[in-house]
Amino acid sequence: MLLDIICFSFLVALIRGGRIKEFPKFHKIYLLVVTVVLQAFAVFFPLQGGIFISIAYVFILAFLLFNREFEDIRIFLVGWLLNAIAIWTNGGKMPIDPEQAKKLPYDLEPVINGTNFKHSILTESSNFPFLTDVIYMPSIIPRIISIGDIFIMLGAFLLVQRLMNKPISLIQLREGKSYATKK
Amino acid sequence: MRQKNDLRFIIKGIIVQVGFVLAAISIFYSSLSEWEPREHWGVLFIYTLLTVFSCFLPVRLSNAVLTVNNAVIFSGILLYGVWVGVWTAVIEALIIAFLVRFNLIKAIVNLGQLLMTIWTVAFLNEWFQSLHVISPLISDLLLAVVYWFVNLILCGLGISYFYKMSWMRAVKEMTRGFTSTYLLLMILAGVGSRLVESYGLVALAPMIIAFFTISYVFLHYYENVQKLQQKVEEVKSFNHKFLTTMAASIDARDHYTSGHSQRVAHWGREIAKQIGMSPEKVEEVYFGGILHDIGKIGIEDEILNKKGKLTPEEYDKIKQHTVIGYEIIKQAGMFHELLPAIRSHHERIDGKGYPDGLVGNEIPLIARILAISDAFDAMVADRPYRKGLPVEEALQEIRRGAGTQFDEELASYFIHVINKLPREELETIIRQNDRSQKPLQDVFR
Repeated sequence: MLLDIICFSFLVALIRGGRIKEFPKFHKIYLLVVTVVLQAFAVFFPLQGGIFISIAYVFILAFLLFNREFEDIRIFLVGWLLNAIAIWTNGGKMPIDPEQAKKLPYDLEPVINGTNFKHSILTESSNFPFLTDVIYMPSIIPRIISIGDIFIMLGAFLLVQRLMNKPISLIQLREGKSYATKK
Repeated sequence: MRQKNDLRFIIKGIIVQVGFVLAAISIFYSSLSEWEPREHWGVLFIYTLLTVFSCFLPVRLSNAVLTVNNAVIFSGILLYGVWVGVWTAVIEALIIAFLVRFNLIKAIVNLGQLLMTIWTVAFLNEWFQSLHVISPLISDLLLAVVYWFVNLILCGLGISYFYKMSWMRAVKEMTRGFTSTYLLLMILAGVGSRLVESYGLVALAPMIIAFFTISYVFLHYYENVQKLQQKVEEVKSFNHKFLTTMAASIDARDHYTSGHSQRVAHWGREIAKQIGMSPEKVEEVYFGGILHDIGKIGIEDEILNKKGKLTPEEYDKIKQHTVIGYEIIKQAGMFHELLPAIRSHHERIDGKGYPDGLVGNEIPLIARILAISDAFDAMVADRPYRKGLPVEEALQEIRRGAGTQFDEELASYFIHVINKLPREELETIIRQNDRSQKPLQDVFR
């Protein structure tokens, strides 16, 4: 999903001299499993997909809440919450701006006729249009992102830095200290 | 009085917890519709990115860290209107609430004060524009000051409620140290907005470079200030150790008076505090006490440690220690402020003292103070050949000497200091000597 961002983050972490030592532990991983299962249901039953996706977002937010001790997870939380508002208020699917989507090399047909499991077309009647997928991001992989996605990308970057044993603390940055947390 | 304070606190609570929250909700709600038009999404996106960056790009000052969020908000108000300012504030509040602290009521109250500030500034901005008389650059300047002021007053109100202090004090504490930098950033934001308005996004390049240069300069400036402060502390602590060592070496030569200088310094400091001298002067008295007998280095051991009664010639030699000490320190070229303490601590108010026979107020204050503490310690301290006098008798001696040997006022202050002290504490100080591990100044801190 965020392959380019993740690769980029790994590259940055490698340049910073990071190496994977041990995989960090997360609490309540089963919540994540439930999310994946629900999304799979959504793929198989795209017409009812909205319900599954909406519930999946509840579980993923719960998962993040249980793991909020890490800064990257808290940033994820902001992003997923903003996206969740857009999804919950628009029938369980993320509206996507057709004008921007035209720039992408993908077939928009499933989105338009409602068979895409997680996206729908942005219309005048969509709620919170400013939180939906409306921004065209040209690189690294061209895609349409939402404002919540900014935070998810930032969170992903921070998570990878932590995985590579070179965590960056935003709180320390904010307090004007060196960005790297001392272990 | 108490009831009045309680009432004031309750009113504050209602304003902050209800008023601020209602303001936050209503201003937020009124901006919501402004975010929906398609042409506004790009602006919201850019300001989200700006907020994320500015949240983590602080300008470090000597005693505080200032983020540039307010400058970003201000530029949003000037370029697009209140809805961008509100959006930026909401995104900032979200980031802080999730990342830094998870306190819903405080987050909303803080958002409320910020949104009210934004609303006020945006309102004034529109009013200025409708007047068509003030140049935008001048009105920006005024608005920057208004933003700072309203933000400060409202924020101060919130803080004064949550931390239970007076509104004035909260405001004063907030202004300390970063008002000028705050205003500088706001003015930069105003100028930058006008540049972007006329030249487009290219104008951001010089603005960003200017910002980074400023924060770089600040960082180095305050780093240097801190380093300097550290050096000053080091020199101070070195001085302190050096003087203490000197005192110990003086006392080591004179077997009768081990720890004497430390105790004289201690009592001197107590008197100085009691009469309300400034902290620096109090320290001066302390070090005067530490060094007052340094001239004894120049007195022969046989006289200094003689067991029997001294002959008049020997006594004259002992008297020389004030002048010898004075010369040593004078030649050392350091601690000039301590010279009077060393030379004149054996002077008497009636002029019968030595070495100069000064009378009354001719004797420097520091010497008058140390004369009392020196005499007291000499009386109460144990000597190898006799036990020290009881404290009451020593105080009686000092009372008797007040006006002839000692300064009357200082003597009564000293008696007050001693009487105030619990008996055990007093005994510990009197029995304190060089060989105990703890320095005297650490015993009762």
